[in-house]
Amino acid sequence: MRFEFKFPDVGEGIHEGTIVKWLVEKGEEIKEGDSLIEVETDKVTTDIPSPKSGKVLELLGDEGEIIHVGNVFVVLDIEGEASSEDVENLSAAGGGTKDSFDEADKEKKLDEKEEVIEEETAGVVGEVVVSSEEIPPSDEGVISRKSTEEKLSKKALATPVARAMAKDLGLDINSVEGTGPGGRVMKEDIQKAKDSSKEKSQEKIQEKPEIKREAKPLQLDEASEGEGLYERVPLTRIRKTIAQKMSESKFTIPHTTVMDEINVTELDKFRKKYKDILREEGVNLTYLPFIIKASITAIKELREFNSSLDEVNEEMVYKNFYNIGIATDTQRGLMVPVIRDADKKSIVEIAKEIVDLSTRAKDNKLELSELQGGTFTITNYGSIGGHFGIPIINHPESAILGLGRIIKKPIVDENDNIVVGKMLPISLSYDHRIIDGASGSRFVNILKELLIDPDMLFLKS
Amino acid sequence: MNNYDVIIIGGGPGGYVSAIKAAQLGSKVAVVEDGNLGGVCLNWGCIPTKTMLTTAKLYKDILGAKEFGIEGIDGDKVDVDWNKLLDRKEKIVDKLINGIRMLFKKNKVELIEGFGTVKDKETIEVNGKIYKTKNLIIATGAKEVYPEIEGLKQMEEKEKIIYSKLAFDLKEIPESIVIIAGNQYSVEFANLFNLLGSNVVLIHQEDRILPYVEKEMAKTLERQLKKEGVKFVSDATFKSINEDGIVIEQKGKEKTFKADKYLISWDIKPNIKGLEALNLKKGKNGFIETDETMKTNIDGVYAIGDVNGKYPLAHVASAEGIVAAENINGKKSKMDYTKVPLLIYTSPELASVGLTEEAAKEKGLDITVSKFPLAANGKAMSEGDTVGFIKVISENKYGEIVGTHIMSNNADNMISSAVSIMQLEGTVYDMAKTILPHPTTSEVFMEAAFGAIDKPIHM
Repeated sequence: MRFEFKFPDVGEGIHEGTIVKWLVEKGEEIKEGDSLIEVETDKVTTDIPSPKSGKVLELLGDEGEIIHVGNVFVVLDIEGEASSEDVENLSAAGGGTKDSFDEADKEKKLDEKEEVIEEETAGVVGEVVVSSEEIPPSDEGVISRKSTEEKLSKKALATPVARAMAKDLGLDINSVEGTGPGGRVMKEDIQKAKDSSKEKSQEKIQEKPEIKREAKPLQLDEASEGEGLYERVPLTRIRKTIAQKMSESKFTIPHTTVMDEINVTELDKFRKKYKDILREEGVNLTYLPFIIKASITAIKELREFNSSLDEVNEEMVYKNFYNIGIATDTQRGLMVPVIRDADKKSIVEIAKEIVDLSTRAKDNKLELSELQGGTFTITNYGSIGGHFGIPIINHPESAILGLGRIIKKPIVDENDNIVVGKMLPISLSYDHRIIDGASGSRFVNILKELLIDPDMLFLKS
Repeated sequence: MNNYDVIIIGGGPGGYVSAIKAAQLGSKVAVVEDGNLGGVCLNWGCIPTKTMLTTAKLYKDILGAKEFGIEGIDGDKVDVDWNKLLDRKEKIVDKLINGIRMLFKKNKVELIEGFGTVKDKETIEVNGKIYKTKNLIIATGAKEVYPEIEGLKQMEEKEKIIYSKLAFDLKEIPESIVIIAGNQYSVEFANLFNLLGSNVVLIHQEDRILPYVEKEMAKTLERQLKKEGVKFVSDATFKSINEDGIVIEQKGKEKTFKADKYLISWDIKPNIKGLEALNLKKGKNGFIETDETMKTNIDGVYAIGDVNGKYPLAHVASAEGIVAAENINGKKSKMDYTKVPLLIYTSPELASVGLTEEAAKEKGLDITVSKFPLAANGKAMSEGDTVGFIKVISENKYGEIVGTHIMSNNADNMISSAVSIMQLEGTVYDMAKTILPHPTTSEVFMEAAFGAIDKPIHM
């Protein structure tokens, strides 16, 4: 019987390794426990023992090549001859799936394998065929064969145009759901898959981190609970969502916060100069649009502030669009409407949109889509009061900028005179897993440069 | 018990097909029909006119038999017996109607004869009896609308006017006939009566006949029909009609055309009598609005066929009926109107599916138009039918075929290949590589496809 041995999970979060040396040869009779291969991972170099006794039929991969957990790397003949049926299975696996390679073009298959993973995080609807299927060294080969067959049966029925489009767009057509007769994948399905791929990749990141925290009932003094000392009010839906989102963020992301004060005296002058003119046009020119513009310039320079961590695939997902969430206080609770593609909008346009979004947020007239897709959030708690705060990141974003109340303060200027400065306190919280402290400070420096001198803001954004 | 899963009002090609499909999927189904099963298509339209056309073509072929090497035909003795033609038509129609009855029996579809009045979306009254249903499919069809021409009523009374549905009420083949309007039915009747030996004048309002048909095809047909003896009058405004003829205005000039009969095929409007109790959303000209699953604005109420005003074609009605039946039975299914074939039964026939060159360009598509003439096809030559061509419109990016237009004898059957390929989103490469049997007129598909890619073989 033919037995395909997949590169097993060697632990410690290792997903791939480099083949250092084959320790057996094709055709060699080996015993269970014999070392097959020496593999170098990013932590250790280790020998992998054979789970079965038998004859080595194939060694897949050359020395120096990378193999991934879940890839077939050795094919053994155990307890007799390989049947024709089994051979068929393997060749099918080589051609139709990506987790085993055909000997003839194994190098190509290795490349392809890496491509597939790249595609996944690039937001393409595709299936990563790693990790879930590898078997521990002692398991039976039946499992792997079964999953191979399942994959084989997934070969999509598709129209010629759909196939050509999928190829062009780098989509795995087998993973696209067909809506044509008999489940045929039509060009419309490919179009939809393409359109939703960006969103899906974001959803996936949101789904991945499971919060394993059990909720416990709140223990109160039973006797006094009956006396009207406590009042139990069921959470509203929005409050439940806020609670869940906050927990998700705070329990998933190791936050750190950097704080500073920015002298916005000049910016204030600039703003006042145009405020009244613009008011006649119905525009309320606050500080916020300037800060949004400055933030976009900063995150364009420091991409990690406009990214998400894909924990499962261990990848950074950088976003090439700039949707700025504005934390908004409403009667029902905190809402974060999003200014889409804020980098392409002028300060006046942003000012108008802030008024529109916040008004509609307060009137509960926002569309769900207007609350989704943010890439960086700004919270202006200072509009109500407060100097510094520690904002919680809007998961799965990587950072949030908090703004305190601007107050006049005595400032020592460059000539050592004490002057009155309008000071904006800022607090920048960020995901410390992917953003180092130095980057946090660099971000703040960019903001300062742009907000202290409004001319700089216009030159750079 | 008078409780059903589906009641369908109307037993035309939409309603009866829908009924059979719904029953096959497990629904308990009843069809309410006030007249004959089969609707306009079977009783007055598709089938009867094709029966007439067969006789007309045969008549013409016999008259022209000498060219094909047959001697001894005396043109003066050969004649069409109008009454025998009608008998033959009756027999065919009866047979088909009985066929539907048999299919109903076989699939346990109940036929309720009488006029259905909807009380509410679950309650239908027929002849005073109440029937309950979970789902309602409206398949009531449409009826003719007549133009407003002064004197039309009086001429109607003198039996000078024939509306397209009543062409069979003619006692004999008219010596001369004026046909009003330039739509497909008018053009089909013009061709038919011309073949049968009438003097035909077709008067229409536009600058060309068949304004929605592929331009070159419509023009070629007009030229061909002219050659065969049909007179065309374009850009006409209809003024009045009396014993002296129909008076029209053309480019500021009044003209009169006198004939034995005047055939009018004007327009249609939906049959919505009996549906008043439902608050159905209606679109342009009162047609019932539906979504792509054939559902109206009311849950559980569907509208298929002519009554929804999408395409007044039997095959569309049937397809819509199947979609409605499938959705009622929990199968996701929707209509795709981009690949609806259109046939025009003239000599030669016209058949189209998908976009015309002009429509594709209007949509901003980057296209290639490949044309191949019948004159270069062996089979067409051997049959003496070399007037016509095929035009294949394909999008350049993937070569997807987005439109096919055929002018040829047998175009009605030939177009099906194009419909199938387009249904599967096929490309000119697929079409070019399809091995087509020789000798057939359908080989022009392959030629046009190669033409789109590079060059046709036989040109």
